[in-house]
Amino acid sequence: MNIFFQICVKSIQKQLAYQKAAIAGLFTNLFFGLLRAAVLTALYGSRNIVTGLSLDNAITYTGIAQAIIGFLSLFSWYELMQSVYSGAVATDLVKPFNYYRFWMAQDLGRALAQLVLRGLPIMVFYALFFDITLPTSGQQWLIFTFTLALAWSISFSWRFLLNLSSFWIPNAVGILRFGFLLSWFLSGFLMPLRYFPEWFTKLCYLTPFPHMVNTSVEIFLGVVDGANLIKVVVMQLIWAIGLILISQLVLKSGIRRLVILGG
Amino acid sequence: MFQIYLRMIGIQIRSQMQYRAGFIMEAIATATVTAMSFVTLAFVIERFGNIAGWSLGEIGFLYGLIEFSFGIMDMLFSGFDPQNFGRQVRLGRLDQMLLRPVNIIIQIFGSEFIMRRVGRIIQGLVILLVAIQMIDIQWTALKLLYLPFVITSQVLFFGGLFIIGATMTFWTFESVEVVNIFTYGGSEMMSYPMNIYPDFLRKFFTYIIPAIFINYYPALFFLDKPDPLGLPKYASFLSIFIGVGVLGLSYLYWSFGIKHYQSTGT
Repeated sequence: MNIFFQICVKSIQKQLAYQKAAIAGLFTNLFFGLLRAAVLTALYGSRNIVTGLSLDNAITYTGIAQAIIGFLSLFSWYELMQSVYSGAVATDLVKPFNYYRFWMAQDLGRALAQLVLRGLPIMVFYALFFDITLPTSGQQWLIFTFTLALAWSISFSWRFLLNLSSFWIPNAVGILRFGFLLSWFLSGFLMPLRYFPEWFTKLCYLTPFPHMVNTSVEIFLGVVDGANLIKVVVMQLIWAIGLILISQLVLKSGIRRLVILGG
Repeated sequence: MFQIYLRMIGIQIRSQMQYRAGFIMEAIATATVTAMSFVTLAFVIERFGNIAGWSLGEIGFLYGLIEFSFGIMDMLFSGFDPQNFGRQVRLGRLDQMLLRPVNIIIQIFGSEFIMRRVGRIIQGLVILLVAIQMIDIQWTALKLLYLPFVITSQVLFFGGLFIIGATMTFWTFESVEVVNIFTYGGSEMMSYPMNIYPDFLRKFFTYIIPAIFINYYPALFFLDKPDPLGLPKYASFLSIFIGVGVLGLSYLYWSFGIKHYQSTGT
């Protein structure tokens, strides 16, 4: 655990070194957030509530979605793949530390740094300029924090698995891009999944993707409660654990297949 | 000159076709993206009925048109893609190009030609055609004649932005992310009716970066929709001037930049 912690801290320090990139990312996120908020405002027109979401809920949704892009690294994460193609993977595998945990620790550090550097300022901005919806009780905050951690875990395992394809394929960029796009659309990042036809939302919920964004945001907004809340958090937990296990299995067979070309 | 360009592109295409499976995967992936983003939009519009009085077909017209043009631009101007170009500058490859006895702009145009953008172009075209089917536009000779001009001006407009972004890397050596707000953000913004945006944002994209005349105003003309912002009628016909203007300005900026270019020394 000590090593895990140290890798994590190192990774945070690395993120802090790229302040310019964080600020640029922040602006981009804010711009797209404003864009989505404007589109939703136009969509709502004079309507108050659509499929259980008020306009304020919907705008808050766009804010959180933008705030957690960096945290979840939703669009891109090619580091592991690059280490395979550069040959650095060899030294990483030799280390007396579980390979999955090695990357997990780094990603946790990256995620936490992004949450503070990009997530918080975006939410503060939203709080200043919009009427956003906030959790109403300490308990809700607690559950939200828990599901956000699960969301990260699911997103990390998914990215880890995508990157592992580089153990088999000499050029995995296309597969990775495709995988990121899937999570982009099916997670509810673009639009709250509630707006979609019911059959489509149900279809999405057969995959782990909604648990990356939609689940946590809906809990933040307080639009799921009671039995549904428990059900969805349990499903999220199952996906998180399941994907960790799958990652371990795939990693095991990947290591047997991996051929490292001389660096 | 042009022959050199064609030859360079030919090499690019051949080399990219070496990984045929990879190419097909990526083209399908790109097409899926645009298809899915339109399907999600269609779902949402179906849920709400319309966006500020624009039906799904009308939004599709805005969306398909800009996707199509942006795809063409992204393929032709790949060499100037700031991210890409910044890497060339960092690695000192621009120095190599400058030493060759061929016009530098031709070389950069020829240095990269990303075939998989075909996916986005086709998808944009499909959405545009479907949208046109849905809304049944009153075609006139003027509209038919004007459409290619609108597409050209969109290509020039975004191409100009790419060149401006590329020129910045002469000083910064890496792509300035804020430029993405105007290129990728701009194309997304233009796929909605632009009167829905907050005042400051709309004014910025009217008077500072006149993106509003590139897609929104021409669309008002094609779809015979009234202008809620009350600009004169000719606002719908400014697109080509703005396209040429932005590209011209970007060329001036580029010429200035390359005169002051100092290598990274790598």
